[in-house]
Formats: sequence, structure tokens, C-alpha cells
Amino acid sequence: MIQDYLFFTGINILLAWSVYVVLLTGNLSFAQGAFMAIGCYAAGIMTTRYGVPLAVAVPAAMLLSSAAAVLVGFPALRVRGIYLILVTVGVTFCVRIALENVAYTGGVEGLKGMSGTRLWHLGAAIAAVGLLLFLLSRSPLQRILDAVREDDRVAASLGVNLTYVKLLAFGAGAAIAGLAGALYGHYLIFVRPDNFDILVSIFVVLYVILGGVNNMWGPLLGATVMTLLPEFIRALQDWRPTMFGVAIVVMLLLRPEGLLKFRQPSARWSGHAGR
Amino acid sequence: MTAQILNGLIVGSMYALVAIGFTLVLGVLDRLNFAHTEVFMFGAFAGLVAIDAGGIWWLALPFVFVVGGLFGMAVEFISFRRFEGDARITAALSSLAVGLVLIDLTQKVWGTEPVGMTIPGYVTTAGFELFGMRVVYVQLLILGVTLALMASLHLLVSRTRMGRNIRAVADSPAAASLLGIDVRRVTQDVFFVSSALAGVAGLLLAFRTGFANTDVGLTFGLKAIAIMAIGGMGDLRGAVVGGLLIGVLEALTFQFGVGKLGELVVWVTMILVLFVRPEGLFGGGVHVKDVRA
Repeated sequence: MIQDYLFFTGINILLAWSVYVVLLTGNLSFAQGAFMAIGCYAAGIMTTRYGVPLAVAVPAAMLLSSAAAVLVGFPALRVRGIYLILVTVGVTFCVRIALENVAYTGGVEGLKGMSGTRLWHLGAAIAAVGLLLFLLSRSPLQRILDAVREDDRVAASLGVNLTYVKLLAFGAGAAIAGLAGALYGHYLIFVRPDNFDILVSIFVVLYVILGGVNNMWGPLLGATVMTLLPEFIRALQDWRPTMFGVAIVVMLLLRPEGLLKFRQPSARWSGHAGR
Repeated sequence: MTAQILNGLIVGSMYALVAIGFTLVLGVLDRLNFAHTEVFMFGAFAGLVAIDAGGIWWLALPFVFVVGGLFGMAVEFISFRRFEGDARITAALSSLAVGLVLIDLTQKVWGTEPVGMTIPGYVTTAGFELFGMRVVYVQLLILGVTLALMASLHLLVSRTRMGRNIRAVADSPAAASLLGIDVRRVTQDVFFVSSALAGVAGLLLAFRTGFANTDVGLTFGLKAIAIMAIGGMGDLRGAVVGGLLIGVLEALTFQFGVGKLGELVVWVTMILVLFVRPEGLFGGGVHVKDVRA
């Protein structure tokens, strides 16, 4: 049991980071559950039907979900504002409906027979993604991302290709979600389209908001606490959506400027002057 | 075929009612109200209460109109009032959280299974033949109510003092407030009207299916967001035409036997519209001017 708790916590940490990476450019994605599904099904089909080793299937699945993200993200990221939210909600529904109705993916019955994920695989994945995010926070790319998020017009006037940077973040986020999905499927042995409901994507976003978005540790903390707490406190489990919802509303009300105000992560973590 | 198109128009008119609410809030206040879909969902349950308490089924419609509107004002108070200026995403997330709470509480009271509506049979099953196709009275009721609401909304926005204030705020909140318009009051009005329409749409859907269901917010209701984007963000005509268009398209795809894949129509159309014409079909909304990056 304790192993399962750790596993689901780890998956949620990866998903929370995948939301965080997209959020670094100021965009909110409600499709991380869908990209997780793509990664999960892609890797699962490769290993169970074609005998591809897991070590090959996982990176291939990451590439595939990243490619899907770039494909659908392009029309949305080309234009401003809330379009990406709409497109990602749409992607979540499309992926779920497609998985349920296409015979190749097993339909409503789902996909079974995957196995092979050990807990340390997930640990290694979290360490690797965490290390990459840490290196990112010290790199010049972080400053470009900050500029795009804080004021995209200024960033564009400085020669930053907005669409490219946003697509890069969106694709990277999808790759992380795909990684989580591939590991998830091969741990559970049996997955169904239900496992990737829109509520999964919504909850992951809420983990990130509750944890804070100032740096990569916020999403990690949010995902860990929010996954483990309901497992140990019974009342929280029964009232999960209400508790989460109220917690979000209260936190946002206590900080009216919003938790989404970033506090110059690159400046804090590398000692450089932020602006 | 014609029966399918009629069906599509009826579903489409309900899509349109929900989409109008989204587009009104977005067009006037530049905010995305995610709790809207759950007010729509709750409309059916509020109607259930009214029918069980009062006994006269059609009185549930005005009751739900008021309850929906009050819920809208509550959402505005909780999730939108304190987030001004640039905090669009914050407000959207807060309303999303309110929506989740509303689903959970509704499920705590009525359970997760659909709850049957007690409506007289002469509404839900009786009907007549028209040009060889069968028309059920509930279909006429839905079309009649949605058309009446849309016409009144049009008159409200274009002919009344309140409508003039709403248009002024949509154009520029700062300028409107300088001219002595109470922007907060207008905001409340907009939330009341948009959520009242959503509540009525939810009840109409329950009349048609015979059940009040806690799922419809995240399935049926969220499609209205896509319809808003298809019609043009903030454009009332776009929401109506987009809703009817998607309703008919969906009905026709079901007719051609693609099964549940017909559910994809609305999202695929939205992505295509974003590709070809990001400002939406009509492009008359307030977002036209900054739609391009």
C-alpha cells in the first residue's frame, strides 16, 4: 500500500511539473491528463503488441505526446489570451472520446498487459526532470520565459519569437506528462480512458496553484501534500473536491493579487539581478 | 433527416443559451467564468426542488431563472470581485474551484446517479405530426423559451438603459466609470443575466432528457466554451449561430453513424476555426483588436 501511495505521489509530482513548465510562459493547460493518456497508450501499445522494450518505449511515448502538443498548440499559441485554455480543454475531451471509441486502443474496456515499472524508475524520472528544471532555472532560457510571461509585447520587441518559446514550453510540458503516463500504465498493468478524465487535468492544475508557482518546489510540495493528505485523513477523502475548491478560493482571496504572480525565480535562484 | 435537423436545432438552442452567458461575461468583463457550466448543471436540480415543492411544473422555469441569476451574483462576489486588472487567469481558476465545490455539494445531496424529473407526460411524450415528422411538445417548449429569452436579451442590450451601460462597460470600463456608470452594478447585472440563462438552459435540458444529472456541466456545458470561440469571443450573434450550427452538425454526424465520435465535432471545429479565422465566425466581439499576438 505504502508503495502505491508513493507511486501516485510521484506521478502527480511529474504532472504538476508538466503544468508548471507550461505556466512558465503564462499559459494554463488543462490537457496534461490527455498528454499523459497519449504517453500511456503509446508506450503500452508498443510494449504489449510489438514487444518494444520499456526503455525504448518510454522516450518514444514522450516524443509522441510532445509532437501531439505542438500540433494542437500551434493554432492556439499563435493568438493571445485564453485560447490555449479552450484548446487544452478540447484536447482532453477529444483524446478521451477517441480512446473510448477506437477499437485499436481497446475502447471503453481499456488496455491491459503492461508491466515493468518499478518504483525506482519513477524516482529516477523525477530526479532527472527535477535536475533539468533546476538547470533551466539557472539558464538564460529561464529569463526568456520570464520575459514572455511578464510582458510578451516587450519580449517580442526584444526579438524573442513568442510562438516558438510558448510552443517549446508546451511541448516540454507534454513530454513530461507523457513520461508520467508511460510509467503509470506500466505500473497499473490495466488502464481505461476513465483514468484520464478532465478532472485529472483540473486537479493537477489545482495542486500547482496550491503549492505555489514561484519556483519548481511549489508544484512538488503541492502535489505531494494534496496526494498524501486525503489518504491519511478520512474526512478529506470524502469531501475531496469541496475541500480543494474551498482551499483554492480561500487562498486566492487571501492573496488578491493572485498566486500566479511570479516572484522573479531566476533572480532568487541564481543571484543575478532579475530585470 | 429533417427530424435530425430539428433535433439538432433544439440541442443547439440550448448550447446557444449557455454560450451566450459565457460570451456575455467574456465580452463585457474580459473574464472566463468556469462556474458557469455548473450553474447550468444546477439549474436542473433547482427545477427539481421547485417542481417537487410547488407541483406546477412550468413555474420551475422562472424560479430557476432567479436562482441561477443569484448563483451568478454569488460567483461574481466570491471569484471575480477581488481580481481586477490583469488577474484573468486567477479569476478563472477561482471560478473553476467554485464550480468543483458546486458539483461536489450537489452530489452529496442528490447522489451521483441521474435523478428523474416529474413532468407530466403530455409535455415529454405527446406531440403531433408535421410534414411527416414527429414533433414533441417539449421540443416546442425548448425552442419557444430559448427564442423568447434570446429576443429579450437582444432588446435588453440594444434598447434599455441597462443595456447601454453594459455596452459602455464592454467598450471600456475606465471610460464608463468616468462617465458615471456604476461598473460594479453592471458587472452584477451581467453575471445575473448570464447565469440566469444558463440555469434555464439546464432545466430545459433536464425536461428533454427527463433527468437531472451532475455530469452535464463538464460535458454538455463545457462545449459552450468552444461554441463561444467558434462564434467569436464576446459576440452574442456568434454564440447563437455557433450553438445552432454545432447542434445541427452533431445531429448529422450521429445520423451518419459515427457513434460517439460525433462528440468530437465541436472541439475539432473550434481548433479549425482558430487555425483559419482566430477571431471567430463573426469576429464582432471585443477581442478582435488584440486577438493577434
